[in-house]
Amino acid sequence: MPLTFHIPGPLREFTSGRSAVTIEPSPATLAEALSALWKLFPGLRGRILTEQGQVREHVNIFIGDEDVRYTGGLTSHISAGSEVSIVPAISGG
Amino acid sequence: MIGQVLGHCRVQAKIGEGGMGVVYRAYDEALQRDVAVKVVKKDARLGSSGSQDLLHEARASSSLSHPNICTIHDVGETEGELYIVMELVEGKSLHEMCRDAGLPPETVIRCGVQIAGALVRAHDRGIIHRDLKTSNIVVTPDGLVKVLDFGLAKQVGDRDASFEGPTRTFETMQTSSTFSGTLAYMSPEVLRGEATDYRSDLWALGVVLYEAASGRPPFGGRTGFELSSAIMREIPKPLGPPVPPGLWAIIQRCLSKEPAQRYQRAGEVLAALEAIQGAAVFATTPNSDRAEPPTMAHHSVRHARVRRGDFLLLIGTTKGAFILRSNVNRSRWEVGGPYFHGHAVYALAYDNRADQHRIWASTASFWGTMLRSSDDFGRIWTNPQEAAIRFPADTGLSLKNIWQISLGRAGEPSTLYCGVEPAALFESHDDGETWSLVRGLFDHPHRPRWVPGNGGLALHTIVLDPADKQRMYVAISAGGVYRTNDSGRTWSAQNCGIRAMFVPGKYPEFGQCVHKIAMHPARPERLFLQNHWGLYRSDDSSENWKDIANGVPSDFGFAMTMHPQNPDCVYIVPVESDQFRCSCDGRLRVYRTRNSGASWEPLARGLPQKQAYETVLRDAMTADSLDPAGFYFGTRSGQLFGSCDEGKTWNKILEGLPAIVCVRSAFIEDGFGHSIATPRVAPQPPPSSRSKSRAASPSRRHSRQKKR
Repeated sequence: MPLTFHIPGPLREFTSGRSAVTIEPSPATLAEALSALWKLFPGLRGRILTEQGQVREHVNIFIGDEDVRYTGGLTSHISAGSEVSIVPAISGG
Repeated sequence: MIGQVLGHCRVQAKIGEGGMGVVYRAYDEALQRDVAVKVVKKDARLGSSGSQDLLHEARASSSLSHPNICTIHDVGETEGELYIVMELVEGKSLHEMCRDAGLPPETVIRCGVQIAGALVRAHDRGIIHRDLKTSNIVVTPDGLVKVLDFGLAKQVGDRDASFEGPTRTFETMQTSSTFSGTLAYMSPEVLRGEATDYRSDLWALGVVLYEAASGRPPFGGRTGFELSSAIMREIPKPLGPPVPPGLWAIIQRCLSKEPAQRYQRAGEVLAALEAIQGAAVFATTPNSDRAEPPTMAHHSVRHARVRRGDFLLLIGTTKGAFILRSNVNRSRWEVGGPYFHGHAVYALAYDNRADQHRIWASTASFWGTMLRSSDDFGRIWTNPQEAAIRFPADTGLSLKNIWQISLGRAGEPSTLYCGVEPAALFESHDDGETWSLVRGLFDHPHRPRWVPGNGGLALHTIVLDPADKQRMYVAISAGGVYRTNDSGRTWSAQNCGIRAMFVPGKYPEFGQCVHKIAMHPARPERLFLQNHWGLYRSDDSSENWKDIANGVPSDFGFAMTMHPQNPDCVYIVPVESDQFRCSCDGRLRVYRTRNSGASWEPLARGLPQKQAYETVLRDAMTADSLDPAGFYFGTRSGQLFGSCDEGKTWNKILEGLPAIVCVRSAFIEDGFGHSIATPRVAPQPPPSSRSKSRAASPSRRHSRQKKR
């Protein structure tokens, strides 16, 4: 089963304008899935993770409707057919 | 023509020829960049009114700014010839790429998205291309598509002046085989001589996509008549696998004979192409060559047209950067930007070492902090896949912001420093390609006890001693002043005599919240300091500091700028207190000392003196290098003020900007290495090297372009 990433507008400059990226087969964890995404579009990594490999403070990642901060972070399990959304947090001035 | 100068472009070599004229590679001697120049013989196919039309159209098209549109820089006229100066695009035309067997569908879609994006931009501006074809579309080695020849497009809107289809079409069919290619892309309504609009470009896009996918045009014919007839009546041969049905459906709709049956807007084609692009499924073991080009161009941004002898102000705000252009009179300003929408730009620097015109900018957003540069005054910026400034893994820290970009000394043309948050110093000795953390400072035993100020824990000021190449000062909020005498290996706290109002012992060894330090290169042993409460001077290379707040309404403030020529002259903008960080009594006043702090005088003429509760932040004031010196500052409320007479009188340059956090000036030298005003020392950033190595510079520039 494939896995689909939803890419927010500001990051589409790194995905040739794609709003969604589907990879197949779906990896088992979020870390592996993101790793596959970086290989396709290397510019995404530094925008989503800090240099220490943590998800940036104002970036939220959802698997389906679940914020991965509450499901194990990058080790979160991904079930087949999942949709992963990368969303900037609502904050700032 | 070779060797001739058109405008400020020296023609170097012929690189192509088309129906309208000859294209040359040329070198813009003013802006020192390679360009393409299209020279159109006035009498070739244009009457005098036609010449004016072409000039008009090219000027209109020069307003188009889009990464997928070849930018028109300039148009002009010399005896008997019109010329159009444009971006030099190196790559293969789509025609060359697809002529054997067509391209893989994914490549066609990727190119199609970019072409459609270019049309969206042009159509939004009321400009139709009229001559879209695969030979007018160039794909760079990075995969970036550039649509050329918008210079032939025409402003739509005035119906009387609309598309000259019948006349020109008839002429081109009759008179020149070079236009036969163009005929193949003409829509039925153009051939019928009917009024045309944007939808004729969408037809041409359909032809381009068909040709790109299959390697052949959708309609053929041995003569112009047969071809026209096929375009008007025949249905193109369907494209099967490997062309996906979704792509074929888009092409078919573009090629509807009736404009009303086609997509009605370029944006619709773009959306349709993006939809099938998004549907592509990647194997989890992908090809490695999918990297995007590491540059970004700014959409829908107006650019300042910078020429030699111009004067620039670089403005960083919490929501983007602006580039303001003027001449040496500094009275009228053209505004370019905003660049980096929504990103905070806390540091900017103009780097004209080694014959370049590079602007450095730091950008910070949810998506991280990047150091970027532009060699063409903001049209294209580097957009690294990965930030070059990053904390090593063992530090456990992540870069939050870059507060200061400083150029190396004279004789260090490849050296740059960045002061960052969390407080640390980074250095580069290869023009900013690679950066390393200055460990001597990072490993200082004081560092764990530095505490963040209101703006975060930042190293925000870097001052290089021009006389002693091993000596450098940095200022940290809140850590204080630190100095190295051995090129950064070891550092000492240099805060003797500086108060820290927020700790019980008022004079600690370190921990002061210093807001800015300044030095005049003619007196490198003397430093001035604006503290979080306190104005100071040191006459002994920061060993001891003496209070110089003699006659200022408040010794609290942020910005501090040296006069570029007078080492006894310093400018500040006091604010009332740490509780109320606004100009004192609602009166916006710059204060100046001309005797190294023995006394201060207010400079208020032209500045608001009623209910002006303004704040000028630490890097939001600068001087220029002209004589008499100009001074400029921006406020947190987004107003920009300037003075051309050393502060005697001020003018509001601009208002309504986001909060201004950085102001820098740049003078674009008049010609090669000669400034019309003697380049003196710009105090912030530290004086850039004026040493020129002209022989070396072109290769530097070229090697950088390749890297992009």
